[in-house]
Amino acid sequence: MTVTDPAPGGETIADRVPSGCPVVHLDASPPLEAGSHWQKANELRETSPVFFNTHAQGYWMFTRYDEVREMYQHPEIFSSESITPWEPEPVYRFVPTQIDPPEHSKYRQLVSRWFAPNAVKRIEPQAHEVARRLVTELAPRGECDVITDFAMRLPTEVFLALIGVPQADADLFVPWVEDFFAGFGGDLAQQEAMGAALGGIRQYWVDVLAARQDDTEEREHDFVSMLLHSTVDGEPLGDALILDILTVLVLAGLDTTRGQLGYLFRHLAENPADRRRLIEEPQLIPSAVEESLRLYTIIFGDGRKVAQDTEFHGCPLSKGDMVYGLVSGANRDPRVYDRPDEFIVDRRSNNHLGFAGGPHRCLGAHLARMVMKVAVEEWLAVVPDFRIASDTPLMERGGGAMMALLSLPVSWEVSA
Amino acid sequence: MKLEFDANLCRGHGRCYTLAEDLLEEDDEGYVTARGQIVDVPPDQVEDARNAAGSCPERAITILED
Ligand code: HEM
Ligand code: SF4
Repeated sequence: MTVTDPAPGGETIADRVPSGCPVVHLDASPPLEAGSHWQKANELRETSPVFFNTHAQGYWMFTRYDEVREMYQHPEIFSSESITPWEPEPVYRFVPTQIDPPEHSKYRQLVSRWFAPNAVKRIEPQAHEVARRLVTELAPRGECDVITDFAMRLPTEVFLALIGVPQADADLFVPWVEDFFAGFGGDLAQQEAMGAALGGIRQYWVDVLAARQDDTEEREHDFVSMLLHSTVDGEPLGDALILDILTVLVLAGLDTTRGQLGYLFRHLAENPADRRRLIEEPQLIPSAVEESLRLYTIIFGDGRKVAQDTEFHGCPLSKGDMVYGLVSGANRDPRVYDRPDEFIVDRRSNNHLGFAGGPHRCLGAHLARMVMKVAVEEWLAVVPDFRIASDTPLMERGGGAMMALLSLPVSWEVSA
Repeated sequence: MKLEFDANLCRGHGRCYTLAEDLLEEDDEGYVTARGQIVDVPPDQVEDARNAAGSCPERAITILED
């Protein structure tokens, strides 16, 4: 593949690609047969640790574990001003996602307690209740689509419980999140629904804020009330920032957990031996969850913007360039993992980057883990045996956003 | 054997205190309480300690052999 001609007069980023750095043209957005994105990441990683990708304005790609971790751990070089490699000048600035250290830690400190393991443990009983209710309702049907009937509803209800708003409002959030991500991949037919969904989400939080505006005291177990009563640098946060944080949580937390659960349940449907093992040794479920985050990483790659000229593994990075760390390549890197392409239920030393690393480590990691563990426990207790009920290959949404199975039809025997 | 926890690298992934729960604890924000410290590993917890160190995505934990 070739690099496009530079604009006359101006040196483009492509002119700086050294001879040792292979050039590809890769747009990871279109939907593909499930598993294709990890296969692509494997091929790239074993071809070269760095690439120049001529997609969009052009950006560097890092394909191996060490390089991706280094990218995450060095925000002074790799800024989060943009995390989308094909969109170097975003018009939005999400908090805390796009804030760099040292400012970033002020916002993280504000919210980290709410999403810490102790806080997540508090709502674990509610997560069990939701999961049990959903599985019990589904069981007599003998079939369902895991993606729409289970994997989306569960994290949504648990998230709302943690925030301290009615769980039943999942009826609103599920379609909003579906509509938002249907349009996120760039499908023009979906743009209107996407905009309407974002509007719905924002208006929901506007109303929640308004209901708390005149409180003199902070409400217990109420995240929005906590934010209203908090300060950063001695100043209240203000409605705009609070709305921004709440919207980020919805967009970062629900579709991701659904996507990850989908791949884990596909694995369980296809691997009766692993299912058996988790039923007999339920203490291995957390380890299976971690392995699914490694092997079935929904993050194809994560972007950063170069903040200072740097030589990085042979690439002359200039301030303003975009880079793309292939998390999917890193998590199956044979330089780090034995049998990297296998699902090993009790894998040890599993240091996957599925929740990123460095200062922007996923805020919801402890919540997502708990929800996934509870989902497997409650499902297997009621539906221990199930299989994929589709004659055509499963398809996955492209890696432009986060990968996710578009549907996962499964079936099981219903005892008379 | 001892484990050394780098205070700057630890980002509260919580892999270590989940895998070596008899040895390590978390604080209210989800960081390991041993952040910036060195922890003695009793002989019966060496296996868990190695797994914890190997599972940290930040490589914040260094194993110090006796
Ligand atoms: C299995 C499910 C999940 C996966 C795989 C995942 C993955 C990630 C990744 C890779 C990042 C880093 C993005 C970057 O720095 O460019 C991230 C950040 C984030 N995640 Fe998650 N996430 C999941 C679930 C959640 C949940 C449940 C929540 C909260 C409800 C959440 C909230 C966030 C937030 C707020 C950030 C931004 C953190 C910061 O910039 O400091 N995530 N997540
Ligand atoms: S696993 Fe690593 S980053 Fe996570 S709490 Fe332990 S030392 Fe810190």
